[in-house]
Amino acid sequence: MVWGVVLAYFCLSGRIIAYLHPAFHVYTAISAGVLLLLAVVLLLTVGGESAVSKGVSLWKQVFASLILVGPLLAATGISPSEFGAAAVENRGLVEHISDLPAFTVPTEPALPTADGSIGPETPIDAASYLKRTETGKIKAETVDLLYAAAEPTMREDFENKDVELIGQFLPMRSGNPTGDRFNLVRMFVMCCAADARPVAVAVQTGDGATFPDMTWVKISGRATFPIESGRRSALIVADSIQEIDAPPETFIY
Amino acid sequence: MEGAWFTFRIEDFSYAFLSVLLEGVPFILLGTLLSGVIDQFLPARWMTRLLPRNPFLAVCVSGLMGLIFPMCECGIVPVIRRLIAKGLPVSCGVTYMLAAPIVNPLVIVSTMAAFRGQAALEMTFLRLGLAFFVAVIVGLAVHNLPIAAVMKRRVMESMALSPETSGGSSRPFGQRLVAALQTGVRDFLDVMVYFVCGVAVASVFSTAINQEMILPLALNNWLAVGSMMLLAGLLALCSTSDAFIAATFVAFPGVAKLAFLVFGPMMDLKLIFIYSSIFTKRFVLGLAVGLFVLIGLLCVRLAVLGL
Repeated sequence: MVWGVVLAYFCLSGRIIAYLHPAFHVYTAISAGVLLLLAVVLLLTVGGESAVSKGVSLWKQVFASLILVGPLLAATGISPSEFGAAAVENRGLVEHISDLPAFTVPTEPALPTADGSIGPETPIDAASYLKRTETGKIKAETVDLLYAAAEPTMREDFENKDVELIGQFLPMRSGNPTGDRFNLVRMFVMCCAADARPVAVAVQTGDGATFPDMTWVKISGRATFPIESGRRSALIVADSIQEIDAPPETFIY
Repeated sequence: MEGAWFTFRIEDFSYAFLSVLLEGVPFILLGTLLSGVIDQFLPARWMTRLLPRNPFLAVCVSGLMGLIFPMCECGIVPVIRRLIAKGLPVSCGVTYMLAAPIVNPLVIVSTMAAFRGQAALEMTFLRLGLAFFVAVIVGLAVHNLPIAAVMKRRVMESMALSPETSGGSSRPFGQRLVAALQTGVRDFLDVMVYFVCGVAVASVFSTAINQEMILPLALNNWLAVGSMMLLAGLLALCSTSDAFIAATFVAFPGVAKLAFLVFGPMMDLKLIFIYSSIFTKRFVLGLAVGLFVLIGLLCVRLAVLGL
């Protein structure tokens, strides 16, 4: 019964969005319904010797009940529904696209036709797939910029363009000799938060912005892709950094 | 490497802990409800009539049963418990338990997708082939063990006490359905106690320990294979998604990723606790060590393939 109620609470309150990939939400919702139904059926049909208690001593039942219910309720109360900076850093930041789960090697567009002209289906107007803000800045995700760092054609869409993106503030502990950079992090999820990988893009500020770790911020700035330590990386040269509320969907998929 | 190797925060732990519970409960519930149905509706000895009489062939067929009856590692224990009660040989049950979380259609698709661009076909074929081979080897070893060395006495007694074990029930359908639900709930609660403990331990690792510590181990095949199996055991990932995580360990050789993909669904922290609900402690310990050594040796030998 308790498990059914807790699962139903996560589904109905929308908290489940911060825990599971959307593909799993329906299974959890069904499980909540089934568990509640089972609880009702057992309450109506139990009689005489309890099937659950048969052959098990009382203290073992109490102990098992505590393990089943205690940690679940405590975690539900304690969990902030997002990771702190320590857990994110322990997982290791994904700063290059090849480190991203489910990464596939980008495919270059078709080659020019025999006479050297570009084929009719080859060029795709970037405006057709790049979303823009009202002020004309490209709305980007951290993952987009990591892909752009690795793939020349995609890089052309972003390089030296004004972009706007959101993420969580995380101080840069290394590779920041002048102290004017930080990481902008989004959690990339395959199944659930436990397998989430933090995808990070470096942000350079003029005055060294400081926020509490993992604060949600919106960055406006110019996307650059310098080669540093022998690898091309994404770096946002920020014009403005603004603290914001957490978005409804904190994960990227 | 920057920062401390261990930084525990109860908030991070609670978050990871809850997310695995929310993800795992549906699969355990499915497995335990299925176990209740098997208990009440599957005729006794049906499984033994289905499998070849030759023990070797029976174990081999059990290793492939996941292709038709796919189960994830969380929900499979209550199912094999009921199948064994219905006459499935323990060796076949253990083989099915180890193989089915890997040798199944979902894992084929997810492994192919995760390793796209990284020898996906070879990795998928090797993952399934190695899992089948290891499961069959373990199944044949279990065939030569007395059942008391494998199953807990309490579990064997409960199987012997079950009136349905010796034959089909003549009770009305409604009563059998309620009994199936009661059995399913009992199994669910049994398994969940162990699952909660296993997830708690795995969540400490996945949030508190700096995972960059293992990167230097990637330079040597033996160390890489061993450390990746250890990591799989500690992370306790689901077999349908672990390939996506394994594929990101680009610094590690392919054989180490293969070891991660084969060892993890067969033995991890939560599974140690779940297996302990029906198997003896000695068997679980032996199984853990045996799988670690066998898969490790096979994967290191497979390095000749140039993965």
